[in-house]
Amino acid sequence: MSNTKKEQQPESFTNREYEAGFITDIETDTLPPGLNEDVIRHISAKKDEPEWLLNWRLEAFRHWQTMTEPHWPNVTYTPTDYQAISYYSAPKSQADGPKSLDEVDPKLLETYEKLGIPLREQAFLAGVAVDAVFDSVSVATTFKGKLKEVGVIFCPISEAVRDHPELVQQYMGSVVPTGDNFFAALNAAVFTDGSFVYIPKGVRCPMELSTYFRINALNTGQFERTLIIAEEGSYVSYLEGCTAPQRDENQLHAAVVELVAMDDAQIKYSTVQNWYPGDENGLGGIYNFVTKRADCRGARSKVSWTQVETGSAITWKYPSCVLRGEDSVGEFYSVALTKMHQQADTGTKMIHIGKNSRSTIVSKGIAAGHGNQSYRGLVKIAKSAEGARNYTQCDSLLIGDQCGAHTFPYVEVKNPTATMEHEATTSKIGEDQLFYCQSRGISEEDAVNMIVNGFCKDVFNELPMEFAVEANRLMEVSLEGAVG
Amino acid sequence: MLNITELQKEAWQSFETSGLPTTRDEDWKYTDLSRLQALLGDKWWQVAATETAVDVTALAIPELDAYRILFINGHFDAAGSNIPTSISFTPLASLMQEKPEKATELIQHQPQAPLNNSIIAANSALASDGACICIADNSHLDKPLYILYLNSGGSNHLRTGIQLGKHAEAEIIEQFSGNHTQAGITTVVTALRLHEGARLEHTRLQMEATKQYHLGRVEVSQQRNSSYTLHSSEVGGLLSRVDIVSQLQEPGATSHLNGLFVASGRQHIDHHTRIDHNAPHCISRENYRSVLDGRAHGVFNGKIVVAKGAVKTDSAQSNANLLLSKEAAIDTKPELEIYNDDVKCAHGVTVGQLDKNQLFYLKSRGLSGEEAKQMLTFAFADEILSKMNHKCVRRFVEKAAFAKLPNITDLEGMLG
Repeated sequence: MSNTKKEQQPESFTNREYEAGFITDIETDTLPPGLNEDVIRHISAKKDEPEWLLNWRLEAFRHWQTMTEPHWPNVTYTPTDYQAISYYSAPKSQADGPKSLDEVDPKLLETYEKLGIPLREQAFLAGVAVDAVFDSVSVATTFKGKLKEVGVIFCPISEAVRDHPELVQQYMGSVVPTGDNFFAALNAAVFTDGSFVYIPKGVRCPMELSTYFRINALNTGQFERTLIIAEEGSYVSYLEGCTAPQRDENQLHAAVVELVAMDDAQIKYSTVQNWYPGDENGLGGIYNFVTKRADCRGARSKVSWTQVETGSAITWKYPSCVLRGEDSVGEFYSVALTKMHQQADTGTKMIHIGKNSRSTIVSKGIAAGHGNQSYRGLVKIAKSAEGARNYTQCDSLLIGDQCGAHTFPYVEVKNPTATMEHEATTSKIGEDQLFYCQSRGISEEDAVNMIVNGFCKDVFNELPMEFAVEANRLMEVSLEGAVG
Repeated sequence: MLNITELQKEAWQSFETSGLPTTRDEDWKYTDLSRLQALLGDKWWQVAATETAVDVTALAIPELDAYRILFINGHFDAAGSNIPTSISFTPLASLMQEKPEKATELIQHQPQAPLNNSIIAANSALASDGACICIADNSHLDKPLYILYLNSGGSNHLRTGIQLGKHAEAEIIEQFSGNHTQAGITTVVTALRLHEGARLEHTRLQMEATKQYHLGRVEVSQQRNSSYTLHSSEVGGLLSRVDIVSQLQEPGATSHLNGLFVASGRQHIDHHTRIDHNAPHCISRENYRSVLDGRAHGVFNGKIVVAKGAVKTDSAQSNANLLLSKEAAIDTKPELEIYNDDVKCAHGVTVGQLDKNQLFYLKSRGLSGEEAKQMLTFAFADEILSKMNHKCVRRFVEKAAFAKLPNITDLEGMLG
């Protein structure tokens, strides 16, 4: 019966081998596994950090030791042994400090090429400054000069610690305090690198800023720390994209991202995450436990999070906005795809404190195979948030009868002038929609692609041009093989 | 099987080990029972009722033509009851004496049950009375069965079980009321079992006295093609928490849950609902609304779980909340947990105040601002109440609900 054939198709549809799975052979300068104060001192010394930062790390570490790992999300995984992770790993050639792309290890460039990210071309043609993070240390930063002209600081955070200590000291930990949660505390103690962006007053950043993350050495957790500060009236769009080589052991990724937006400032933060999701039996894959938070401090400030999550064995993150400023705006657009044995518990928090603050949440989840995903969101409207407005829409699309989609939205309203709406739907691809497309001569695969694309359109529209193309490609690749 | 004494002992031990739920429990995040002991003393579960005489006529629904089962201060009152001969009825207290194994079955405490908590364990241990009703296969009750639980304060622990045989049809109205001014507590569990093709209309009116705590639970288990409709109204009490747990066990079962809560002053009203779609081709609909004034705090949590294999599930949930004052607050959490692709599930939540355009329209038609407000508030709430079968019940709830909102005065003029 054709029916059984149909049932089979969505299975193969998502069973596509991870295309970005390969390991680049570069000598790494790696610490033995384990975590104690000496390791932290070692990391700090390696990076020539000032005394205050070491103390900050140690304080975070001591606090972390008193905390227990949280287990409330709707995911299951083998617990991480924090003493079995190596907390420092840097490509060896880093000691020489490459000053331009020509000095970058050719093998690294080759890796990017394999991923279809020709750094030079893309940077040149698309006008993107790439702060490429290979494992934990930045090795190439481009277009610095151009950014310097307008006064934008875009550099690895370790460099910022050296060159702009006053800014780092003032803002780091002010959005996500060291004791915020288990993973944030761990990150504060052991973070090795990340990006630092500072946009001065009234400056519109002339190009999209972008960082490509890549986890490479075996058994190194990646602890990035990103800090973006947008001063009054400035604008910046920041892109973050990730791929990782194939391997069998779970890797922990516990990054922290902090955004600060002052009066009339705008930050657009986009993520395409395609880390190794594990094999079809659920073995291996990245644990992506990230704390992302934006502080809309100024009046009329705006922060927009856009994320496309197709990778990782477990994704557990809630990019949040604290809408402190009057008329501040928070946005969250997300597409999450879980296939095979992937699990995702993701969503956002919108904390309305300022008058007339507004937020929009659009979350699209696609679950296939044995994938499980949850939307978990909090919309909190404080008493002071007169006239606050929220609109939430979270839709789930299910492909196959072994997957699951769950919604856990928390809504807490303490002000009657607030208006808040929440809508959620869950369904499979409509048979009538498929039938209609096919009756018009569109193949089943194209029809499924069209429907999925249409389903995700609201979110993809929010991505910067370059990323939208990549996201579309990623979805297609992930969903390829559905039919024939 | 445990005998009834052992069972109650075990349930009590279970309660003593876990203690009262606290706000650290996810299910009790927004409802704080810590003041219970301050209000009723350390032994809150065994406070004697006040001297106030219970005035049945003043508390009951006027003009309701129904059979009646009356409980006063947690005990069956045969004189005030009028029980149809077509059903089998035994008060729980007598059942415990006469057929303890049946009573055991009813108050069996299941730690694995969804939304289980220590209050249910306490209720299992302490249940003093309740209605145990069997409605035979194919029998249709000609009039509603009005189960009236009245109290004059103190601690009341009730456990009611109703079973509907195959293709039986009935309508049940449960009402909880009191007219005292002291603090007190009611814990109650109503367990309903609907066999194949049974139909039940269940109206649950929580109109406790102003200082009463009300901790209630309704458990529904539904078999093939059975249909259950709930009209729940929460207007009374100081703090009330009601859990509705509905299990759709066999294909074709339908569950409709309608709920309204109206609160003012310092009232706290918490409604948790959970619908388990355990079988294919079941339908559930949920529609809850709240109107909150004064410093009232409302909580709604609606969870729908679709099990693996429960294909063709059709489920929709809607929750709308109206905040009338600056001090009122609502915490709402509609949840979906779906383990299956062939389903249609949707939920929606809104929180807001009255629509300015609607107010403007009414004012442009010559209504005063106050009148316009009242009319819109009333219309908002009445969308739930209008689904009730009996006009007299609906009027009764409307009066109780809107007497508390000072702005709604000229109610009669608006009634259609």
